[in-house]
Amino acid sequence: MKYPRPQSPNMQNYRPQLTSAMSFGHRLSGVALSLLAFGLAAWLVAGAAGPVAFDYAQAAMHSIAGRMILVLASWAVFYHLCNGIRHLIWDSVHAFELRNIYAGGWAVVVTSLVLTCALWAWVLI
Amino acid sequence: MTEPRITPYSAARGLGAAGHAASHWWVQRVSAIALVPLILWLGWALAGGSATDHEALTLWLEAPINLILMILLLIAAFHHAALGLQAIAEDYIHSRARFAVIACIQLACVAGGATGIVATLLIALKA
Amino acid sequence: MIVESSDQVPRLKWPRRFPVPRDFGVAKNSRIIEGKSWPKPDGATRIATLRIYRYEPDNDGAPRLDTFAVDLDDCGPMLLDALIWIKSKIDPTLTFRRSCREGVCGSCAMTIDGTNWTACTRAMDELSTPATIYPLANLPVIKDLVSDQTHLFAQHALTEPWLKTETPAPEHERLQSVEQRQALDGYYECIMCFCCTSGCPSHWWNGDRFLGPAALLTAWRWLADSRDEGRGERLDALDDPFRLYRCHTILNCTRTCPRGLNPGKAIAEIKRMMLERGG
Repeated sequence: MKYPRPQSPNMQNYRPQLTSAMSFGHRLSGVALSLLAFGLAAWLVAGAAGPVAFDYAQAAMHSIAGRMILVLASWAVFYHLCNGIRHLIWDSVHAFELRNIYAGGWAVVVTSLVLTCALWAWVLI
Repeated sequence: MTEPRITPYSAARGLGAAGHAASHWWVQRVSAIALVPLILWLGWALAGGSATDHEALTLWLEAPINLILMILLLIAAFHHAALGLQAIAEDYIHSRARFAVIACIQLACVAGGATGIVATLLIALKA
Repeated sequence: MIVESSDQVPRLKWPRRFPVPRDFGVAKNSRIIEGKSWPKPDGATRIATLRIYRYEPDNDGAPRLDTFAVDLDDCGPMLLDALIWIKSKIDPTLTFRRSCREGVCGSCAMTIDGTNWTACTRAMDELSTPATIYPLANLPVIKDLVSDQTHLFAQHALTEPWLKTETPAPEHERLQSVEQRQALDGYYECIMCFCCTSGCPSHWWNGDRFLGPAALLTAWRWLADSRDEGRGERLDALDDPFRLYRCHTILNCTRTCPRGLNPGKAIAEIKRMMLERGG
């Protein structure tokens, strides 16, 4: 059977690289942040509904599961923020050499982790 | 969804260039630039304990600067999210269901943004 | 960790591929089965193991992965030399494109150890053990390592890669300063190997409408040419959410170009020119 021709594998075989991995992380964190935006709107609605509702919302956020979600969400925020700035730098047609792409990529990963740890150190201590 | 074409060139040509794509791209970038300081402000305010309980929340949002920044944040964040999620839908959904999904995304983001803004105003103005 | 140029082979051995099942989203006729394991050559001391994608359109078999053992002392240093050695000494039916054997024609582009490169410029000692040789990613396979690039060439033709002028031809050349000619450096050298387009995830998902890095690099080469007078028409043709703006600056293209070119940068320049027009 000659037609349709088989298709060579793409994602199933192609090597993940810093370029594609960070872009995927940007998209994943973006989706997570969209949910977080709706969460922020819901939290504000709880605030508008009065002290009882707001205390309930705060208790949910301070629970173990709530805290874990907030830590991951803050990492997503910082990752998307730092990588977003890297994207804006690219949009002004700067830092396109491979050396800068890779250096910037690792800088974003490290910075986002450092900022997340710093934020939670400040909150918890 | 493009109809099947007869020659490779007409398949590549498709339905032609739609136009107006550059403005979507630009608005996405402007909302991103706006979100950089706004997110940093929100993170700093919440981590600093401006909204630990209802009293603190009301006091914090009653200050005009915080009220304005929160509303600007909600507008920028939901607009940025709408455009970003639309790009994701366009990337991965290739059937006509794409239009329904994009419509839902736009409506949900407008609703979310409006809800957040109204809630913020209620907190700030209902002393 | 920091990659200085695209000819650097990835150092990390893992992850070799995206963690999805082997047949995730693969059409039934594209599923790859285990193929033949060819015997080792006698008396060979240095052996390289290559797992090569095979597909015969003439019989009804499925695509398969054959395992070959190559005697490194009997063939040249590059992967293309090994493929030619296999074809002449082990299996004459192994099919692949090749021409210049020096990295300037783009014929032998294939997916080697999960990244796209030309076989003639990939040294045997840069391969992993065993090395996996597939045809260029996400393209229909005609036979073995030969992929059908008709659609990619059609997208290239769509960018109208020729000089567009209204003013009549001058007596001698259309003049260009040294700086104006330098604006084409890094864009005219493209050999149309399609390593970049084949490695672009956006082109995987929307290849029917997204032009891809190779075609867009060509588009920029003509937009940047000071002698060209059709800039407005070219930008009109590109102003589309799919043709240009499926590019999300993933930059797999720049990472994989065998000529060291920068399609990601070319696309960013196009977007900037689009903005200058009034986005």
